[in-house]
Amino acid sequence: MKPRPVLEVNDLAVQYDTDEGLVEAVRGVSFQVAPGQTLGIVGESGSGKSVTNLAVLGLIPQPPGKIVSGSIRFRGQELLHMSQRDLSTIRGRKIAMIFQDPMTALNPLLTIEDQLTEVTRIHLGHDRQSARNHAISMLEKVGIPSPERRLGDYPHQFSGGMRQRVMIAMALSCKPDVLIADEPTTALDVTIQAQILRLMKELQNSAQTAIVLITHDMGVIASACDTVVVMYAGKIVEQADTATLFRNPRHPYTLGLLKSMTRLDAPLGTKLTPIEGQPPDLTQLGKGCSFCARCRYAVQHCREETPELTKVSSEGLAACFVDWTADSAGGEGP
Amino acid sequence: MKSRAQVESRSTSQNVLEVKDLKIHFHTTGGPWERKRRIVRAVDGVSFHLQSGETLGIVGESGCGKSTTARAILNLVKVTDGQVILNGVRLDNLSARTMHPHRKQIQMIFQDPYASLNPRMPVGRLISEPMKIFKLYDRRTRMLEVIRLMELVGLDPGFMNRYPHEFSGGQRQRIGIARALAVKPQVIICDEPVSALDVSIQAQVINLLMDLQQQLGLAYVFISHDLSVVRHIAHRVAVMYLGNIIEIAPSELLYQHPKHPYTQALLSAVPLPDPQAESKRDPIVLVGEVPSPDQIYQGCPFANRCPIAEKECTDLKPALEGALHSVACIKA
Repeated sequence: MKPRPVLEVNDLAVQYDTDEGLVEAVRGVSFQVAPGQTLGIVGESGSGKSVTNLAVLGLIPQPPGKIVSGSIRFRGQELLHMSQRDLSTIRGRKIAMIFQDPMTALNPLLTIEDQLTEVTRIHLGHDRQSARNHAISMLEKVGIPSPERRLGDYPHQFSGGMRQRVMIAMALSCKPDVLIADEPTTALDVTIQAQILRLMKELQNSAQTAIVLITHDMGVIASACDTVVVMYAGKIVEQADTATLFRNPRHPYTLGLLKSMTRLDAPLGTKLTPIEGQPPDLTQLGKGCSFCARCRYAVQHCREETPELTKVSSEGLAACFVDWTADSAGGEGP
Repeated sequence: MKSRAQVESRSTSQNVLEVKDLKIHFHTTGGPWERKRRIVRAVDGVSFHLQSGETLGIVGESGCGKSTTARAILNLVKVTDGQVILNGVRLDNLSARTMHPHRKQIQMIFQDPYASLNPRMPVGRLISEPMKIFKLYDRRTRMLEVIRLMELVGLDPGFMNRYPHEFSGGQRQRIGIARALAVKPQVIICDEPVSALDVSIQAQVINLLMDLQQQLGLAYVFISHDLSVVRHIAHRVAVMYLGNIIEIAPSELLYQHPKHPYTQALLSAVPLPDPQAESKRDPIVLVGEVPSPDQIYQGCPFANRCPIAEKECTDLKPALEGALHSVACIKA
């Protein structure tokens, strides 16, 4: 039996009205995540992965942004159209977020104590002393040495990895049901990345948190996620459990991503196969599959009609008309 | 001093670039209210050589001194001690004016293709500018060179009159590469040239750099924090930690048989894009973080985080030893 999803996004579409025209940032995205599970969202810049998750938290500035359609449900409760006031009882309390850049996400003028205790005083009604004790125990959990002493410090007195730990401590202070982590380790060195990913896993195991992990790094996906959603030009092009996606990618874009990355476990001298060309201009999306201009398997049909996500295996979905997998059995890329 | 003598004996015509015992120390204060002066040892005794047509990768975490080393090679920061030798000529003690003619031999590609191109210059002028500065060719030939270079790096010469903002990140990095190639250098210092690019575009630029090296016999110093990118492109790799090279070896040796415990930890921390292999792996997770480079260490700079450190490691700083595969660790 599959556990009931705690967060469900259905057919979400987000547009931005810009000087260059209407940008279709997210075009009908659906996914769900269950308690204790980690869903990875992978895609390149402009694929809509961050916008999707800003929408979940009600953080899309409107205008210029506009949520055109769709639904976002947290434990069955619709978050779109909820008042800011009601939303603020969920945001930070039930659904928390970790941002990519801990330097800009922390307030440089406030001490770590101010920033860490604010969350629990608002959401959990802690008084000053219990908020402080809670903050100390959270800092301890994320592995910051001598937390009592560090509480009075300002963000600039911490290193990048330490700031990211503070962000995680803040996000997990209220034991959220859902944690959205947008490139949480991209700005960090690999040894610190390993520490942070391990920490997130431990905290997830103890509290059954559902995690949505947004990244562009297939290595991070492989080591941290149960299921994966691959996004391209505002749409999900493939969705599968992690093992299946890596073993048997069913969308040419997923295969292209895997073939174009340098990897430590490849034989030396392996030639990279880049995906030629550029991602499409999101203001000029015509009909047809948005990947077809860069796809070596594209046929006429791909240019005329947009493929929908369809079932390709017991758990996997892909949006592609062409059955190209037989062709690539020899291991050639797109 | 044996290793120094070896380096010396190898410094024949085949070495285009040599760096000997390079030290770069910055003097800082803790801010306007702090009296105490501190010395930050950004680079603390780095030596390597580079042959023509070769790529030397330099990897390490932020703050290890890899970018400062790059800037010192180009005489963009003041060298505290040591030597930088390009084709037998010492660069480190040259003034801006006397350095100028040597810049034709050694060029740089920067990390951020958005910040490194003048937004008010069309691409054609951006690429011809270096030739103009070195008074190469007449106007017409320069124009032909721009066309040749744009084709060489995979840009349509028809876009010559467009401005940088009209190009994507990957295309801008191609413009940066064309600019570096415009004066026909022997050595190019690449400082994180693909870090700002998406994976699929990264592969395009890596392939381009490798093709250009084969065609033109360029030598690269390739600086990156990404171990898998460096493994792909570099012939030899140097690992830096806290201003020191702690291991340097041909790629296949370094990646297959890393000897220094820091290199081992670094390699095991890179997540593999293979869920099965990943679930079986047990990465060496280092405790703590890189210490501040403004303190003086007696022993091995890695000793306080090293899983196999012993008492003697904190007594004496280990020297880089071994001819082909050099490592600075008394336990390796």
